[in-house]
Amino acid sequence: MGGMNYTAVESTKMATAEIFGKTLVELGEQDPRVVALTADLAKSTKIGDFQKRFPERFFNVGIAEQNLFGVAAGMAKAGLIPFASTFSVFASMRSTDQLHTDICYQNVNVKIIGTHGGTSFGQAGSTHHAIEDIAMVRSLVNLKVIVPADGYETANAIRAAYETEGPVYIRINRGFDQTVYTGEHYGFQLGKGVLMTEGDDVTVIANGSCVFQAVQAARALEHDYGIHARVINLHTIKPIDREIILQAVEETRRIITVEDHTILGGLGTAVGEVILDSGHACAFKKLGLNDHFSAIGFHEDLMSINGIDTENIVKTAIDMIKRAHVVEIDADGRATRALKFDDRDFEAEIDWTDEV
Amino acid sequence: MGKKITKHDLYAARIFFNAALPLLRVVVESRRDLSRLFKGKSFVFQVTAPCVRVKGGKMATHFVVEDGKFTVKVEEVHPNPDIELAFLSLKDFILFFSGRGKPLPEIHGAAKHPLLFASLLRSLLVMANLLQAEEAPKRLQDQVLLVKLYFYLLPAGISQLNKAGHEKIHQWALTSPDRAYAFAVTGYPALNSYVRVKEGNSKAGRGEYPRCKPFLTLRFDSPLHALDILMGKGDMIDYIAHQYLTVEGAPEFAALIGEYLFTVGDYAKGLYLDWKETE
Repeated sequence: MGGMNYTAVESTKMATAEIFGKTLVELGEQDPRVVALTADLAKSTKIGDFQKRFPERFFNVGIAEQNLFGVAAGMAKAGLIPFASTFSVFASMRSTDQLHTDICYQNVNVKIIGTHGGTSFGQAGSTHHAIEDIAMVRSLVNLKVIVPADGYETANAIRAAYETEGPVYIRINRGFDQTVYTGEHYGFQLGKGVLMTEGDDVTVIANGSCVFQAVQAARALEHDYGIHARVINLHTIKPIDREIILQAVEETRRIITVEDHTILGGLGTAVGEVILDSGHACAFKKLGLNDHFSAIGFHEDLMSINGIDTENIVKTAIDMIKRAHVVEIDADGRATRALKFDDRDFEAEIDWTDEV
Repeated sequence: MGKKITKHDLYAARIFFNAALPLLRVVVESRRDLSRLFKGKSFVFQVTAPCVRVKGGKMATHFVVEDGKFTVKVEEVHPNPDIELAFLSLKDFILFFSGRGKPLPEIHGAAKHPLLFASLLRSLLVMANLLQAEEAPKRLQDQVLLVKLYFYLLPAGISQLNKAGHEKIHQWALTSPDRAYAFAVTGYPALNSYVRVKEGNSKAGRGEYPRCKPFLTLRFDSPLHALDILMGKGDMIDYIAHQYLTVEGAPEFAALIGEYLFTVGDYAKGLYLDWKETE
């Protein structure tokens, strides 16, 4: 069960990476300036689809990520639109200097596709877990950062990156992603969060694979406790959508961020910076890896172990609501805010009797 | 087969009493020719077998029928059923319901209610013929009913094995986060079922999992393809490749739940009786 080889299951749906590969081919057909580069990971990162269709516009630089980015920067300076793809752990760290100096400093039109983001390549071990990449790349000047939630959003992100001048970093997962959207036409805009569910008790802000978990947590909170959770898919971390965050702070007063990443410097930090900067106060909790490496195993199990699954989002929301509850008191016709402990029974026993 | 009750006998008995026998209600409700037999009738029907390892010394499932409507009561002995099949031993009960033998039970109340008894016997035979069939039924409506029986039986069987302390399944449940494993056939929502597992607890349910999207759904494209897999006629990997079966959610866990489904099946077919090492 712990292996890294897939046979028949692979044939069904590897949504995110597959869609990335197909979208890139589509762009390649539209625009001859689009070229693809890899550091000997064409098959794993699904950029091989492009290789088959446009072999003369495909470049494998070997296991040399620094060279990958240097070559891509040069191609961009020559007027091409390079999509450079490798594992996100290598894209963000092994070649940080080239990313910083060759690409971001020169503000060249290179698109970086970091695959196997977060702990999505869980079985491969800590060397292949990209749990710091967003913290790294978010700090680089000129670089836009997108973490799509599923295959459809990946397609949108790839097209948005193509249409946007300058460097873009897109972090996608290994492939076995849950599908969040039913299609591509839901109004994706670079730099704008997507409201996934309405709610005014608590807001869960997530990106990448955590969006699915957050949406399911909202359903469970509603079903089990009648709690209305707002879920925001903040796919673009930079530039960040300040408006949607501050509206959530104003309207729900409780923010939970969920990311497949360290909580130091990623989505949670970015959201926290927006809130701090605004001067507003709210209950705030970051879910993610708290300054430790991840265990090794299946992505779903790691999400559970690292507390970024549906269950822990539900628990965190309940804890937050139990601790203190901002209520509207309507004593004399005017709404007043007050702080009190919530007296709802959230510990009700689950009936484990089998249905017959 | 020895007379001593083994842990495997207990696992099998729990599956029959708490997961399989309750399906009698489903069979009666799904078949008009059977439900007609009980129209307007009110009575209690019970199946029992002695077991020193349970409180009260008897395992039982009974059906309270009121005006033809069946209610199932598991793990409860009714003190005064109208009709009762009382097996003389747990092993006899298992042999009978697994189809591995025909040790007849004592029959109480049949003389007093001969027509009701005949109706119950017919319903039990219909259920047994369906569940013990080696080939899928030809008629679609029978295929649908059989899939429903399997979809209700297997998750309940997993849950019962967990609750009975089956080493592998209980260990899995103990370490499991809150996850639901669901079973579905596209276009037949009435067949949906699931088993929810969390930190040693489990619950088998019918219908769509209500809380959120299940952790994993095994979705078949037709009742017949579902039966191919459930009856061991088709290859799971091959069916996934042909998209007769899709794994929605966490595909890497499909093999795990598949293995537990077949564990339940092995107990239900009495295959464990052939194992050399029993406690």
